[in-house]
Amino acid sequence: MQVKDIMQTKVISVTRGTNLAQLLGLFKDFHSFPVVPVVDENQVLIGIVRMRNLFDVFKPHHQEILMRNPLSMLSHEPTDIFDIDIEEGMGFLVIVADIMDQKIVKVKESQSLKDAYDLMQLHSRDAIPVVNAEKQLVGIISIFDILMQIFREKGVA
Amino acid sequence: MQIKEVMQTKVISVTKGTNLAQLLGLFKDFHSFPVVPVVDENQVLIGIVRMRNLFDVFKPHHQEILMRNPLSMLSHEPTDIFDRDIEEGMGFLVIAADIMDQKIVKVKESYSLKDAYDLMQLHSRDAIPVVNAEKQLVGIISVFDILMQIFSEKGVS
Amino acid sequence: MNTILGIGFILIVGLFSAKAAEKIKTPAITAYLVIGIVIGPCVLNFMPDNIINISGIISNVALSLIAFSIGQNFSKRTFQQVGKQVLWISILEALGAWFVTVTALLCFNVPGYMALVFGAIAAASAPAAIIMVVRQYKARGKFVDTLMGVVALDDAWGLIIFSISLAVSKAMYLHLSTSMVSVVLKALLEICGSFLLGGIAGILLSYIGRLIKNKTELLIYTLGIIFITTGLALHFHVSVLLSCMFLAAVVVNLNNESFKYFDVLGDVDWPIYLIFFVLAGASLEIALLAKIGFIGIVYLVFRVIGKFAGTYFGAKISNADSDVSKYLSLGLMPQAGVALGMALIAKDQFPEVGGLIFTTVAATTVVYEIIGPFFVKVALQKTNQIHA
Repeated sequence: MQVKDIMQTKVISVTRGTNLAQLLGLFKDFHSFPVVPVVDENQVLIGIVRMRNLFDVFKPHHQEILMRNPLSMLSHEPTDIFDIDIEEGMGFLVIVADIMDQKIVKVKESQSLKDAYDLMQLHSRDAIPVVNAEKQLVGIISIFDILMQIFREKGVA
Repeated sequence: MQIKEVMQTKVISVTKGTNLAQLLGLFKDFHSFPVVPVVDENQVLIGIVRMRNLFDVFKPHHQEILMRNPLSMLSHEPTDIFDRDIEEGMGFLVIAADIMDQKIVKVKESYSLKDAYDLMQLHSRDAIPVVNAEKQLVGIISVFDILMQIFSEKGVS
Repeated sequence: MNTILGIGFILIVGLFSAKAAEKIKTPAITAYLVIGIVIGPCVLNFMPDNIINISGIISNVALSLIAFSIGQNFSKRTFQQVGKQVLWISILEALGAWFVTVTALLCFNVPGYMALVFGAIAAASAPAAIIMVVRQYKARGKFVDTLMGVVALDDAWGLIIFSISLAVSKAMYLHLSTSMVSVVLKALLEICGSFLLGGIAGILLSYIGRLIKNKTELLIYTLGIIFITTGLALHFHVSVLLSCMFLAAVVVNLNNESFKYFDVLGDVDWPIYLIFFVLAGASLEIALLAKIGFIGIVYLVFRVIGKFAGTYFGAKISNADSDVSKYLSLGLMPQAGVALGMALIAKDQFPEVGGLIFTTVAATTVVYEIIGPFFVKVALQKTNQIHA
């Protein structure tokens, strides 16, 4: 069985220019932030936004590069999201291109469920985007999708 | 601000006797498995089922206790969900009490958002159940709920 | 006290000192160093000998992990991300500090090999201390963006400059009588050896790593490759820092999913850094403080001049704002972790003068850590980045 047989095909994706207010608006009724694929005009996957990337709004400056220097860490604390001032305008000033993760863990639609599962375990992801041979976004697959598929096959669910 | 002002109050919970087929049925249209609180007849929180607990169906024998002995590990592999036998009857034989996690990370409704956030960071959870002074389940709070609350206070979303 | 008891003690004291430091807006690394000095031989003398004995292993492990992490910056994508300005300024301010400090020390008749080492250490700055100030004043703007980019990269250039300078300096030190040619050859051999070692290890890490499917194995494998690289570098007397940095650089450029190797280390590296910096603090020899006066002052002053000149040229070449060319170097004054790590390596390499080098750098670090944040603040004020 291939990834494309069970993946979710209805996916909310955004573009580089989507601003933070629009992005949050899409998920305002959700209680968890999913993996949001970022695509270019040809539907090619160019990045993803995960919840952790939203935290970068609180610590904007070249965060990704600074994080690579272990000595730039200030303390053992995670980001203090309660004690930072954010301006109102940031909803419109910050765009997806500023916060998206270019380190994308993705899977091809023709790969097996086991490949997708191993990849998600390795990178500790619950869900990853699925692309076709042209690198275009075609869906998302989650560990729960795979688990449900197996339970269904075994007649458990 | 207290947790009870931000938490989700519509929560799907189960009881000890809920079987696996019923449990999976509740979430069959979901693509991710949320934190499912397990309550007794008085609504007192007695356990939680997370997605990782579903994997225990594939490795049944006293899993929790064995896991505490690092030397009982067979290999570095995560659970192999593709190559295991599961009987059809398991959907009805396995109940929430068998797989639920009794190590519960929870917060009281009167705690601050920061308390909830710190607790979730420490235990690497995205969402945790909320209880009242009588230990009864009253809601669920997620990191994303807190993040959205802060964003909307700052006028970002 | 046995070694394990000592390490446990260091971890717990280090943890709570960092917590306390946070309250007074001081980076964790500074807290580790201070604790090291306090429990070290100079003040309380609480540090058992057997821990000092294993400090060689700890510092090699810590430095190889630091070099490995910093090495991942050497990718085309990072360079595109930070832009031309940050690249030029960061390279030139690091080289400027090196060049001016070396020249100044040579003019004052400090031996060449020592001047080279001091110059190289001068290139480093302290990202944590600088970020702390930016955070504290909630500074924002174009200047802050450029400053943070430069700060993020200058340790990477610093480590390269240091590794190369150290190779030359070692060759000079060991072959004082022989010709310039043999010194250059010897240094070149060490540098090429490091690249070869890091390159081969990088190819191995990248290609065999693709077969690994889970996190536990990935962590074991990554640590294994880093330790083998570090061990071979020590065995063949090539540079540990250069080898590990090059290892990371090769992996980043060969493999799209290379971030997994760096992410997986993120869970285990902090306890090692904590022990490393506490031990670094404990290596300070207060008795030597009296001897450092002159070299220390030359180093303190000319490092700043070098940073200023380098930043100025970098800003001019890349057409940066006049604010950047005038004030950015003020933001680069703090110095801490990387500099002390370099000084510890130098201490190991030059038995006779190593203690003096280390103590000088440790003392100037204290000065820079006290006055540095003040200058960062001035730079932010002058460029209107603080919106109170």
